[in-house]
Amino acid sequence: MTTVGATATPPGGWRRRLFAAAPYILLAPGLLWLLYFFIWPAVQMFLMSISSGSLDSGFRVTGTLKPYTDALTKFSTQWGNSLLYGAISTTLDFLIGFPVAYAIAFRGGRFKNLLLFLVIAPFFTSFLIRTISWQILLGDEGPVLGFLKHVVGILPVDFSILYSPVAVIAGLTYNFLPFMILPLYVALEKIDIRTLEAAGDLYANGWRTFWKVTFPLALPGVFAGTILTFIPTMGDYVNAELLGSPKTRMIGNVIQGRFLQSNDYPTASALSFVLMAGILIAVLIYARALGTEQLTG
Amino acid sequence: MANEPQRFNPDLTRRRFLQGTAFAGVAAFIAACTGGAPESQPPASISIPTPPPVPSATPVPASPTPVPSPTGPLKFANWPAYIDLAGKAGEAGEYAKGSSPTIEQFKKAIGVDVDYVEAIEDNKTFYAKIQPQLQAGTPTGWDLIVITDWLAAKVISKGWAEQIDHSAVPNAVKNLQDDLKNQVWDPNNDFHYPWQSGMTGIGFNTKVLASAKIAEPKSLKDLYAIQSGKVSFLTESRDTFGLGLLKLGKSADPSSPTLIDDLQAVHDDIKPLVEKGLIFADNSYLKNFAAKKTWAAMVWSGDLASSGTEGDTFQVPDEGVMIWTDNMVIPKGAANKYTAELMINFVYDPKIAAQIEAYVYYVCPVKGADVEIKKLDATAATNPLIFPTADITAKYHNFQFLTDDAEAKLDELFLDLTGG
Repeated sequence: MTTVGATATPPGGWRRRLFAAAPYILLAPGLLWLLYFFIWPAVQMFLMSISSGSLDSGFRVTGTLKPYTDALTKFSTQWGNSLLYGAISTTLDFLIGFPVAYAIAFRGGRFKNLLLFLVIAPFFTSFLIRTISWQILLGDEGPVLGFLKHVVGILPVDFSILYSPVAVIAGLTYNFLPFMILPLYVALEKIDIRTLEAAGDLYANGWRTFWKVTFPLALPGVFAGTILTFIPTMGDYVNAELLGSPKTRMIGNVIQGRFLQSNDYPTASALSFVLMAGILIAVLIYARALGTEQLTG
Repeated sequence: MANEPQRFNPDLTRRRFLQGTAFAGVAAFIAACTGGAPESQPPASISIPTPPPVPSATPVPASPTPVPSPTGPLKFANWPAYIDLAGKAGEAGEYAKGSSPTIEQFKKAIGVDVDYVEAIEDNKTFYAKIQPQLQAGTPTGWDLIVITDWLAAKVISKGWAEQIDHSAVPNAVKNLQDDLKNQVWDPNNDFHYPWQSGMTGIGFNTKVLASAKIAEPKSLKDLYAIQSGKVSFLTESRDTFGLGLLKLGKSADPSSPTLIDDLQAVHDDIKPLVEKGLIFADNSYLKNFAAKKTWAAMVWSGDLASSGTEGDTFQVPDEGVMIWTDNMVIPKGAANKYTAELMINFVYDPKIAAQIEAYVYYVCPVKGADVEIKKLDATAATNPLIFPTADITAKYHNFQFLTDDAEAKLDELFLDLTGG
């Protein structure tokens, strides 16, 4: 007996150890991916952000903090624009997206899939092309303004939207709208219709049902939607570049300019880090405010 | 640099392609009718690129030393739509086998394959790619690259360019336009030969201005005086600041001792316009003219010569005009240096130059191409934007080769203006 037991133990232990290690082995490709394509570049970028030098003479890690002081002090307008435009377009996306998601989830019926497809359909066209199309749509003599100026005649002839903050916010709102609608839809779609009926049975009117039942249950979607919209709008530079003017530049434009125009890699890296840290802190505060237990919901 | 973004615009390139394919078609047809000679000639001789037609005698004497034989494939990096693209590939905006008569003729004449890649969209980005290899003294993988003056000057000053053997490029030695000779950064053309030049000046559409009841701007002062929201300057710092210096009557000589202060003055001069709505544009100014978004702009000559719509006008400002040139340079360590020299020689044959010019419509660096281009496109030969007259060349200013300090200052000031 003992001998049998002794011989049986090693393979069993080996197998058990393999079994215990399985999650880590399965995680390994993902971890390696993150290590190589996220952690390593982030470390490189951090080292670059405390370097000095130029592209020609080479960059050397000197531990200087100048890139960070530059990043924090020199670009207040662009930081402000990023925050403002990001907040406004995220709010607009929410105001536009919630009714759409609500309608699809509760009134979509058999057209649900078709309607969802229509929400995503613009994504089959390149982001860039869609944004450039807005140049035409918002053009001074474009289909909208041209019509309002010359046919309806309610706008003065020199009225202009393109290259203004309005155009940038409009572009941002449009481009990131599906990122708001889809999570909202998923959250609303999960709501058990019987909870709403129960609210009705308890003499809640439509408005109270919405605020006391529907909206709280949709909060995870609101959280995901606002995060998914706000983060990319904050860092976006395409809309400000194509639809804006020098006065409407966002922090993404500054980073792009530092990297590609002036080859000032340290400042660009520092800006990227500050942006990342800022967004992270904002998200943490936001999550705390909304209450995390509701978000796992 | 001065010409990079204009090649991004799909609208522009399509128009240029449509025009270009027609001309290239004519070129191919004429080549087929009149030629035949290049095909029957044996490969591997320096004088293969057809000798210039005017002095018909004296072919290049065979060198007593053994002639190196061309090796390949020639790795040629150029900008998009910057050679005579033809046929379907031209319309699609991408280079494909057989889509450039010039490249195909070169392959046939020299007997070496050419790997022609539209690899450069931006001087700075391209430089950032090849700089590490050049710095480390390893080959870049390219045999011939086309880069704008200031970058060519920088690469050459660092000793990162192969010296061109003048005996291998007789066409280039002979046919280089005089006003492109004696560049301070390479006075004897030991390291570069121009590919194309272009001017930066004032552009507007006469019809748009007429409907807005605005006088046509003849000078930069006029341009600055137009309502700022209706004007665009260029996204290229050297162009905008070069013209800005001329507007203020300052020296646009990059070696001016007061340059740093002058750049600041230009910045301070333009800043109020930005506050009043001035925008910065690449070749999208053409679109803006068409949409009446802008009335006038700082523009590049090539656009208006080749792809402008009716009424588009290029104005040489009273104060002067910026000239820039994209140059062929052989990067250090090129594997096929001799073949690269043969290519330089080939495109300095006026016939070949005319063939390229009838497509790209920039300022031609090759003497004799104006004679040749008459056969392809009669109006092009007298177009002052392709073959500028003496009173235009007298107004040339080259604001390309800046010191590191001046460049850093320029970048900083320009980014402040553009908000980036």
